[in-house]
Amino acid sequence: MLMEKSEVENGFIIDLSNIQNTSQLVFELSSIMEHPEVKGKNICLKLGSIDLKQSQLLSIKALIESMDSSIAYIDTQSEQTEASVVSLGIIVGKVSDDMKADLSSSENGADESSYQQEAVIEKTENDSMTSEETEDKTVEVVAETELPSSSVETLEGIEDIYDEVSTEELSEVIPTENFETTAFGSLAASEGLLPAEEVSKYILLDTGNVLPEGVEENSVNTNSLPTLYLNQTLRSGQTVNYEGNILIIGDAHPGSEIVAGGDITVWGILGGIAHAGKNGNITSKVRALKLNAIQLRIAGLYARRNDTLNVPYVQKSDEFTPEEALIEDGKIVIYKKLRRD
Amino acid sequence: MTGRVIVITSGKGGVGKTTTSANIGTALAKSGYKVVLIDTDLGLRNLDLLLGLENRIVYTIVDVIEERCKLKQALVKDKKNPNLQLLAAAQTRDKTAVNAEQLKEICDILKEDNDFVLVDCPAGIEQGFQNAVAGASEAIVVTTPEMSAIRDADRIIGLLNTKEEITSVKLLLNRVRPNLIKSNEMMSVDDVVGILEIPLVGIIPEDTGIITSTNKGEPIVNDENALAGKAYRNVAERILGEEVPFLDLDEPKGFMAKLRNAISKLKVKV
Repeated sequence: MLMEKSEVENGFIIDLSNIQNTSQLVFELSSIMEHPEVKGKNICLKLGSIDLKQSQLLSIKALIESMDSSIAYIDTQSEQTEASVVSLGIIVGKVSDDMKADLSSSENGADESSYQQEAVIEKTENDSMTSEETEDKTVEVVAETELPSSSVETLEGIEDIYDEVSTEELSEVIPTENFETTAFGSLAASEGLLPAEEVSKYILLDTGNVLPEGVEENSVNTNSLPTLYLNQTLRSGQTVNYEGNILIIGDAHPGSEIVAGGDITVWGILGGIAHAGKNGNITSKVRALKLNAIQLRIAGLYARRNDTLNVPYVQKSDEFTPEEALIEDGKIVIYKKLRRD
Repeated sequence: MTGRVIVITSGKGGVGKTTTSANIGTALAKSGYKVVLIDTDLGLRNLDLLLGLENRIVYTIVDVIEERCKLKQALVKDKKNPNLQLLAAAQTRDKTAVNAEQLKEICDILKEDNDFVLVDCPAGIEQGFQNAVAGASEAIVVTTPEMSAIRDADRIIGLLNTKEEITSVKLLLNRVRPNLIKSNEMMSVDDVVGILEIPLVGIIPEDTGIITSTNKGEPIVNDENALAGKAYRNVAERILGEEVPFLDLDEPKGFMAKLRNAISKLKVKV
């Protein structure tokens, strides 16, 4: 265990490289952090071969931040820890052996960059900057981020993210394994939903399958598609057309049209036309707090609302039961969320 | 077979063009004629709603014009009467999506195998009006007994008279309230006809049943008891060339109304 000044401005190196046990690591770190000298510093954390998960690293980060300090970079020999470090947006650094000799040289070195990064993009940008600026100095902060440079480039133009970032690149930026999607998924599929009204509510139009020529049915996982987030009410005559999923916070009034390559989710009353999976994706779904679409279209299947349900308007209530429409056995079926009283 | 193309127009909005189109169309179809209704109110379509066909529309007139579907595919059959078909307007586009020539072409094709093509015209005298009128040879001008509506109807009649293709322009007086006429608060039918100087094709009384029928998506002509429904059936018959006397709107129809009427007369005597 070691504690000394680092090349980073206002920085401190904490060496915990000989600790192999997580609880001991946290104990040691907290005792060091209580030291008044370490408060409000940029901490360079040197870890050994200990494997840390993202969640564990997060608590360490929180511990350091609770003392008004921040992590400048983390030096580790473990691949798993390194991955966690990257996913949290912290810099992977190397504590140079001869840094003690060059303490003074870093005075104006990296003062512009606040080392507390929030996004991966910013981090790598600043990183390259610091390494350029400190080029002629003996101390080097080595940027060893695992991200391929290509994904960083695409992320810089954030407006075009959906057009240019491929699925692989996106999943690298947001590692999906850190979100427990499977737990929610299984809940929704088994006990959370029960079939209701699928016969009476929507009737397939006799148009047959109306996929345009050249478009074939497919079952691309809609999780892999980007999502358009709209916080507004869609009024009659307004259309939203998007290649990925569409999420609308608000109502979609009759006369509006939502066309998505993937899923459509309306957090409100869906009263217009909704077309999910326009490129033939038969796994696409349409969900709404109140599913009252005049027409539901999924991939090439079109269904109209039963005439008996044609009411001039839907009364708003806080008693809505969310519904989900999907294709089952060549039909559009509605599932209602089960109420547990 | 060459059918008749009739445009239903008014100039002013809210006088009942769409209600009239839906009801005359339904009445003609009920008499066994093949009818196509065209909604040309692009971006503000309503005709589908009045017929209760909104949920069946897949293709619209714009899809036909932009060749995304065949004209036949875009025709939506009525729920009750297969003789009646609707060519819906696009809700997500505006009047500039079509032009007069394209609409004329559609009317010309449709009149080949239908007895009647009724064109529901949008309010106003701009592009939408010019489009709707393009394929028609007859016109029905809808107005209400109000000065503003009559002024606009007069303007429309003037415009229609400049179109060579339109051979007949007739007047339909909507939302007439006999009791207001009686008390001299509303212009009488004769007054309106006197101002506009075109032949009358129908007088439709104000009927609260219209509101419920619109909300239900069920034209009022299907209601045998409604006075407005009867009036619209008479209009259809006059279009077919029959001589039908205009309804005597003074006489209340229902039993309760007759009773009330009798009582009020009694009171007057007392």
